[in-house]
Amino acid sequence: MSTINFAAREINCKIVYYGPGMCGKTTNLKHVFGRVPEHLRGEMVSLATEDERTLFFDFLPLDLGSVQGFKTRFHLYTVPGQVFYNASRKLILRGVDGIVFVADSAPNRLRANAESMRNLRENLAEHGIDVRDVPIVLQVNKRDLPDALPTEMIRAVLDPKKELTLYEASAAQGVGVFETLKAASRLVLEKLSQNR
Amino acid sequence: MIEPSLALYGEAYAKVDQHLEELLEQTGVRYCLLVDRKGFVLSHKEALWAPRPPALDSVATLVASNAAATAALANMLGERTFSEQTHQGDNGTLYVESVGDHALLTLIFDSSVALGKVKVYTRKSIEKVVVILDEIAEMPQPELGDDFSKGAVSLLDDLLG
Repeated sequence: MSTINFAAREINCKIVYYGPGMCGKTTNLKHVFGRVPEHLRGEMVSLATEDERTLFFDFLPLDLGSVQGFKTRFHLYTVPGQVFYNASRKLILRGVDGIVFVADSAPNRLRANAESMRNLRENLAEHGIDVRDVPIVLQVNKRDLPDALPTEMIRAVLDPKKELTLYEASAAQGVGVFETLKAASRLVLEKLSQNR
Repeated sequence: MIEPSLALYGEAYAKVDQHLEELLEQTGVRYCLLVDRKGFVLSHKEALWAPRPPALDSVATLVASNAAATAALANMLGERTFSEQTHQGDNGTLYVESVGDHALLTLIFDSSVALGKVKVYTRKSIEKVVVILDEIAEMPQPELGDDFSKGAVSLLDDLLG
């Protein structure tokens, strides 16, 4: 990575991929890592168990470049999805600027999606953040499953008021990954310029 | 609540830089990083003689996560936080000390440097750096208008297609 110091005017934003266990958060990040040119990204850090389940987080820094003299960077994180890792999941949400909620299309994961969304709200509340204040994008992943539930059914559970932007994806094939990230980043950038 | 971490030009930052440089010279450590609690590198210095450092973004993220995890542990034990962490390996040491509530000073050095000496000088530097960081926190945030957002979004298009 390029040298960073106080002489550089920098804006750093943190985007967190959230969702139930095995929904494809790490797969999203791996796809981004694989497709972004080397000079614009840093190293990907994965703290995972031997069977590649995320234990603490995955981390990927992305460089956008300079905008009006501000070097703009995104730090992408995933959380461990498994229910019993909530303590570490909560830590990763600290200082979050934008969230991608990855939902699983498998019929037997519908309840897990709902629980994870509730957990997200609870954890944000503990950080003193209102869900409505953080840009959130909903990604309905694993659309390639033969028995995938209809998108609208998943949405009805996670986002009944249809407030969130929704993207369909098959992260393993890379479908919808960049679209989702772009939407989330855009929301974060808009929020930045509104607030200041 | 959106909180980007912002680093700006200015006298204050030059001063922090200088304190880090002095600390590096006084202690003989390899690398010295000021990292915020979210894992962003605020400033870093490396000794001229030291080999190329590992990816600093990764170091910063891991140090911040580690500090967050230890702080959660501290809370469980009835402490507000643990202000200092030392990790010693066969050949080197990673030493992390809190700088106020928002930053962490990280020093990486090999076995030729005495930990005690590093601690003494680090504490002195931190006293000075805390004051500067507090000043910065009170400085007005720069205005980012629509132009910023437009420019950034077009870069985003370039990056993500």
